[in-house]
Amino acid sequence: MGLANAVIADARSPRTRSGEGAAARKRNRRLKDTAVSLGMAGPAVLLYSALMVVPVGVAIYLSFTDWDGFSDAAFIGIQNYTHLFTDPNTTHSMWVTVLIVIFGSAFQIGFGLMYALALRQKSRTNSVFRALTYYPHVISALILGFLWNAILGTKGALNTLLAPFGIGPVGFLFEQNLALISLIAVIVWAGFGFNVVLFVAALQTVPLELIEAAEIDGASRWQINRNIVIPMIAPVVTVALILSLIGLLRAYDIVVSLTGGGPAGSTSTYAYVILAQSFGSTKIGYANAQAVFLMIVSAALALLVTALRNRSDKAAEGEG
Amino acid sequence: MKGKGIWRRVGAVAVVAGAASMVLAGCSSNGSASASADTAKAESAHLRIIVNISPNLTVAYWNKLFAKYEKAHPGVTVKLERTGTISAADKLNQDLAAGDPPDIVQQVTPSADTAKLFTDLSKESWTKKTPLVDNYKINGKTYLVGAGEQVQSLVFYNKEAFTKAGLDAAKIKTVAQFTKAMGKLKDAGYVPLQTAGQWVTGSQFTLFNDSTTMTKTPDWIKKRREGDVTFAGDKDYMKSLKAYKSWVDKGYLQKSDLGLAYADGQTNFLEGKSAMYIMGSFFVPAADQAKASDDFGVFSMPTTGTYPTKQFSNIADPYVVVKQSKNQKAAISLVKWLTTDKTAVGSELAADGNFRKGYTYTMSSLGKGVQKIVDASPGGFVEAADEQPLPGYSTELNSQIQSLYSGSTPKQVAENLDTWWDSQTQ
Repeated sequence: MGLANAVIADARSPRTRSGEGAAARKRNRRLKDTAVSLGMAGPAVLLYSALMVVPVGVAIYLSFTDWDGFSDAAFIGIQNYTHLFTDPNTTHSMWVTVLIVIFGSAFQIGFGLMYALALRQKSRTNSVFRALTYYPHVISALILGFLWNAILGTKGALNTLLAPFGIGPVGFLFEQNLALISLIAVIVWAGFGFNVVLFVAALQTVPLELIEAAEIDGASRWQINRNIVIPMIAPVVTVALILSLIGLLRAYDIVVSLTGGGPAGSTSTYAYVILAQSFGSTKIGYANAQAVFLMIVSAALALLVTALRNRSDKAAEGEG
Repeated sequence: MKGKGIWRRVGAVAVVAGAASMVLAGCSSNGSASASADTAKAESAHLRIIVNISPNLTVAYWNKLFAKYEKAHPGVTVKLERTGTISAADKLNQDLAAGDPPDIVQQVTPSADTAKLFTDLSKESWTKKTPLVDNYKINGKTYLVGAGEQVQSLVFYNKEAFTKAGLDAAKIKTVAQFTKAMGKLKDAGYVPLQTAGQWVTGSQFTLFNDSTTMTKTPDWIKKRREGDVTFAGDKDYMKSLKAYKSWVDKGYLQKSDLGLAYADGQTNFLEGKSAMYIMGSFFVPAADQAKASDDFGVFSMPTTGTYPTKQFSNIADPYVVVKQSKNQKAAISLVKWLTTDKTAVGSELAADGNFRKGYTYTMSSLGKGVQKIVDASPGGFVEAADEQPLPGYSTELNSQIQSLYSGSTPKQVAENLDTWWDSQTQ
């Protein structure tokens, strides 16, 4: 038995050794792969952490302090966050921003979609119109605000044109409600060109055969758009909607140069209050709390839109 | 401490990079360069100064002024930090948050909370000769020095409009007479009182109210800080709000003017479209530049009590040296030049229509008119140190005063101001 065992052991040992070697080699390869992966992803992760994770972390930390920008920061718990809802300027700016987000996103997406559908065909004229709609997007929002201020102001181009007809001055920028409408209109005008570009690109991916088949079946233009084209570009619409929502929540530059938050604070957006008032008054801790709250709302909105989109997709698949 | 500083600086870098959609801030190190360490650098330094840009104090003006200093001080260069669409105070906040402090700032008034940001100039003997220096002391220390005095609470008027309306400016001393005069000017076909949007609306109300409520109770702001008075509960403050509202309701102030920028409102007045304009002495150089000084007269803001009252004024061209500046000696030297050198001071006074005892410059008839008011005034009144309102008050007041044009009542405005004030001190 002893000999037999020894023979068996002898017979097995090379195989065992070879199995262990293979496992070790596998482990080494894995380690090597992991090291290579980390080496390749590391710089990006570090950069992302330095530029995104750390600042956000610092902002969250500062939002729980009374830091004024130069003194030592003292921890004050959630005081800044409760102040968000008792500070009249902030609460007012929240409502202004909500209106801008609702109407701004509806018009930016709606007009963008209509415009893109109208300019779907490839032609020189359509290219010119697409370029025209996109051009406000490449100009600084601050400059656009000044430009529209020169058009809509009391002594602006529009009121000057209307004056000979005995009209005005129209309060585009001095009537509270009208000033807010003017602001939303300018924001929509400045931003919808970007959506047009997104939608036009998405429309190119819709198979022509489907549209032709629908046309042969007698579907109207409206039916084709509603039942074929728009559902097919829905993911892009979702992305555009999320980008619009986040962009509108952050509306600041145009406010500065178009209305300065006035008249009577009627166009003071949330971001404007953070940057022009809280930051300007050296309430950095509070400004960070406002900013963190804005970040949470933005993220929540983006998640909500995506979740709704997914649910609608699943429902559509279920029907199919 | 150092560790915290690093973390904050990281945050500040991110702001500049636009990495997040938020205001993230960081701070620079707390150490300030000592005077001894700066001695070696005193003769050659690269100074950065934040200045307020206005229609009178343009970028070209400042560059020309600093070129004179550079010529007289070889090795020293002065770089103008443009403020663009933000105020000097906002620019300073941004620079501090980014860990890139400037050396000097013009047009920022330290408060008890912010004084630690600036260099204590109390030991500099030359500061004692600068105007209103004692009024701006904080806890007995000098942080702010200026080139002159800016006279506020003035009413400029169009002489032709007054002639047409049969008015004599010398007889307008009370708020009631002022209101009556506006009625006559309206009947004569003029917009009685020029205003504008931006900061102008609230500022004009302040200039009016300073001649009534604030000169009567000079420590009003301090009392409000301590909760001894409220906006809605103070009879004088309410009187001022009611008077202003009555001007709006009677059409003496135009709602459409809220859509004008400061410069546009001023142009309206200079072009004779309106009859009166409540503003500070810095309107004088604007009228001089338009070669229209002789067309306008000036009187002190009417009051509800004695007339003339203490003339509300503030320090003109105020400068502070930033504590974190690494060029302390050179920065102090430049501030000294800006506030004591005859040529520099004369230039600054003339550029913004300011005044200072012992310093003269060629004045227009309108400038001489302001000088007469200063001479006849029983004294000055300054809103500084303890009398400085809460940060953000002027913006809030501006919003509230503008809301009077859209139907808000004086009571609502006063209550809103109280709500805001209390919310900021919680």
